[in-house]
Parts: sequence; C-alpha cells; structure tokens
Amino acid sequence: MKILLVCSAGMSTSMLVDKMRKAAEAQGLEATIDATAEAGLANELETTNVILIGPQVRYLESKITSKAKPHGIKVAVIDSMAYGTMDGKKVLQQALSL
Amino acid sequence: MNPVMQWMEKHFIPIAGRIGSQRHLVAVRDGFVAIMPLIIIGSFAVLINNLPIDFFQSFMVNTFGEGWKTLGGNIWDGSFAVLSLLVVAGISYNLAKSYDVDSLSAALLAVGCYIILTPTTEDWGLSYAWTGSQGLFVGVLTALVVTELFRLLYQSKFTIKMPEGVPSGVVKSFRALIPAAVILLLVSGLQMFIAALTDGSIHELVFTVIQQPLQALGNTLPAALTITFLNQLLWFFGLHGTNILGPVIDSIYLPLLEENISLFAQGTSAVDVPYIVTKPFLDAYVFMGGTGTTLALIAAIFLVSASKHYRTIGKLSAPAGIFNINEPVMFGLPVVLNPVMFIPFLTIPVLLTLTSYFAIVIGFVPKTVALVPWTTPPLISGYLVTGGSFAGVVLQLFNLTLATVLYIPFIKAAMRADKKNFHSKGEQTDAGSTKVS
Repeated sequence: MKILLVCSAGMSTSMLVDKMRKAAEAQGLEATIDATAEAGLANELETTNVILIGPQVRYLESKITSKAKPHGIKVAVIDSMAYGTMDGKKVLQQALSL
Repeated sequence: MNPVMQWMEKHFIPIAGRIGSQRHLVAVRDGFVAIMPLIIIGSFAVLINNLPIDFFQSFMVNTFGEGWKTLGGNIWDGSFAVLSLLVVAGISYNLAKSYDVDSLSAALLAVGCYIILTPTTEDWGLSYAWTGSQGLFVGVLTALVVTELFRLLYQSKFTIKMPEGVPSGVVKSFRALIPAAVILLLVSGLQMFIAALTDGSIHELVFTVIQQPLQALGNTLPAALTITFLNQLLWFFGLHGTNILGPVIDSIYLPLLEENISLFAQGTSAVDVPYIVTKPFLDAYVFMGGTGTTLALIAAIFLVSASKHYRTIGKLSAPAGIFNINEPVMFGLPVVLNPVMFIPFLTIPVLLTLTSYFAIVIGFVPKTVALVPWTTPPLISGYLVTGGSFAGVVLQLFNLTLATVLYIPFIKAAMRADKKNFHSKGEQTDAGSTKVS
C-alpha cells in the first residue's frame, strides 16, 4: 500500500516519514510512505491508498478529500500530538485504521 | 480564555482556511515558490560580487582579472532582472494546473501577453526596468487574468476539435489556438488603448498608483508588526501562517528587497540602501527557529525544564529547529492552542520586530541585501543577509537571548499547569494535549 503525507513544502513531514518507514519495517509491513507538497499531489493520485494531512495545513482537508475520493483514497488529518512528537508508529496505526 | 478560543476556532479558522486554500492565492504563492531557486542564486551572485572583505575582493581581481564580476552579473540578468517574467510563467502555470487545463500553453500565453504590455527600449529591447520587480504587480495581474480567460475559453465550445487518431500533442496545440487568438487580440487592443490614453504603459500606471504606495506602506514599522502578529496568530491556531500570508509578503516585500540588492550590486553600502522591512528581515531576525522564535523556546526548555515530556520534545525539535522548521515543537509541546503559550508566542516576535527595526534605524545593523533560503540557520543567515556584516549576527544573538529569557517564566508556568493536570488526571502524557484534529 502507499501512504502519502501532505504538508506545506514536504519538509517537516519528511522527518515523520522516516519514523513511519522504520515502524512499518519493524512490523514487517510492505508500504511505500512519502511526503509531498500540496501541489505535487495530483501526480500521485493514481497510485496512492491513504493521504495524511499535516495538522498545520488541515484547512486543505475538504479540498484534498474531494480530489481523492473519486480514486477511492482515504484522507485524514494527522493527530497533532502524534505529529508533534514524531510518533511514527502511532501515525502509521492511524493510516492503517482508516 | 476558553470561550474566546472556541469562538476563534469556529469563526476565525474557517476564514483563514479558506484564504489559505483560495485557488488564485495558492497559484500566486506557488508561482513565487517556483522561482525561488533562481532568485536565491541570483541574490548570492550579487552577494559574492559585493562581499565587503578587501582580501577577498583583491584576491578575485588578482586571480581572475577585473572582469570576474561578469559571471555573477550574468546570473543577475537571468534571475532578478527578469523576476516578473518568471513570476508570470510560474503563477499562470500553477493556476492553469489547478483547473486541469493545458498549463504549459497557459504559461506561454501569459508570458506573451506580459511582453505585449511591457515597454520596449528604442533599439527594440525589452526594458529591464519593467521585467524586474517593478513590473511585479502587472505580472501577477496579467498571469491571473490571462489564465482565467484562457481557462474559460479552453473549456468552452469555441475550440478546434480534432478527429480521433490525431496525436494528443497536436490536439492540445489546436485546442489552445482559438483561446490564444482571442486573448492576444484583447491584450493587444488593451495596450493600444492605454498607449493612446496615457502616453505610457500599464506598468507606469499600476506602479505609481498601486505598487509604490503599497510598498511604501509595507516598509513601515506598523506594517511589519501587523504581518508578524498575524503570522503568530495563525500559527497559534495551528494554521500555516507563513503559507497563508505568503502571497502578500512575497508581492510586497520581494520588490523592496530587490531594490536593496540592486543598489548594493551597484556599490551602495548595505547601511545606505533604502528599505528596512523585507522578507529576510523577518526570517533572519524574528522567525529564528521558525515562527514564534521557537529556537529560543527550545533553549528555554533545556535551561529550566525538568519535565521529561518537555525535554523529549526539545531534543526532538532542536535539529529541525536549527533549520527553522518548528512543527515538532508547535504540535508536540504543544504551543498550538496552549493558553499558557498564547501571550509569549504572540508578543515575543512582535517585540523582536521592534528591536530589529530600531537596531537598523540607528545604523547599528546594515539593512538586508541578500535573499537566503528560509532554512538557513540563524547566525549564518544574519551574516549573509546583511551582505557580510557581523552586526547582523550580534542582533540575532541579542534577539535569541531576549526571547529565551522571556520564554522562561512561561515554560515554568506551563510546567506548573501540567503538574496540576497530572494530579487531576493521573497521566502526564495527556497534560496539555489539545483538541486539534
């Protein structure tokens, strides 16, 4: 499965991505996890299963949801506490539970 | 404080959110983001050409000859001197893309239209006077209007349809043909109309009536304080203030910086260039470690906090904080929607704007004459943006120290508040968590 994290420039979330990858590896989960900026999202819609939105750009949720829904992609805003503590495991769980 | 926050969450957040995701503003912002690599390099070219270190200057002249500055000068021509042209393409491309219409055609058309509206020199050259930052407002307007028209026509029935089996590239170029023809005719007509009416161009008109007054306003202390305050307020509610305010900050403060850089390149000292408030002014002196001068907040945590949660967040946030990325501390501590952090987070950066402004006004610190990436660590950025002056570093150190001292009592108060929660809830990790989701 492919999980995509969206934030403003894809910078702060890229730290979280590393932690999520490690968490996925520890669980033996086959997953592609990446970070992108909002503008880069359109090219990824075909292949993505879950989109997680950084809490600082949570105002994009409705816009992204409307774009992602036709592709059957699940969309959610990352839990802000898990985001702040860079808790890769918890965010991965959130993605899987959608 | 709580009802106030609930009210803000209900009324202020949706409005800010709508502005932050408004299509045209997003296109403007992304257009500027797209040209950043060019203008940052252009800015460094000027900086290196004019580094006020005698040893370096004489070394370069002795090694490469008097003409060594041409190398950087050429880069300037290809970046800052055509800033508006680049922005037109960037904005138009992004706006067209958001509508899912042919974005490359739209961007090319918008650049063509911009050139129609731009005065030429007597020997048939484009005038750098208007392709650079002076033409920025016309550029933004042209890109938005042309692309919007293009989108309407492109999606209408008035396009040439090709039979099946024609290669898609050909189909695309024919589909854009009629929209392009209509728009070029309109813009050309507009240019004739303006020329007949004013004996000048739309550039002079927009520059003197809109851009210049706005920029003059932007360079004042109240404007700088307002921008800082709004950015803080948005971030306090966990919204990306820098992104939301980006279109305004870039279109007003980029030209001011460009004028500083341009004069600096011609030999004016960084102290004597005209503008105090610019984008790097805010980035380098106020938003150190990110919005809210959170590098100082992290320092304050290490100095006074014994709380495990705080220290963990501090350790987690420090590496990114050095590069001015502060989401971990914003959402992890959290600062966002934390009543104890409300006062310091909103007032400290405003105070730093004041100290920085006055340090420049009294001539202690030179003005900003270089654009560095916003991820440049503090202390390095202070040296670079001032065109190589240690006074910039001193100001950063002063501001960081001041901010740290001011954050300390609030960190202590936050720890006390957490302790209370700890006793009532019995679980420390929940202390201070917020309802943002």
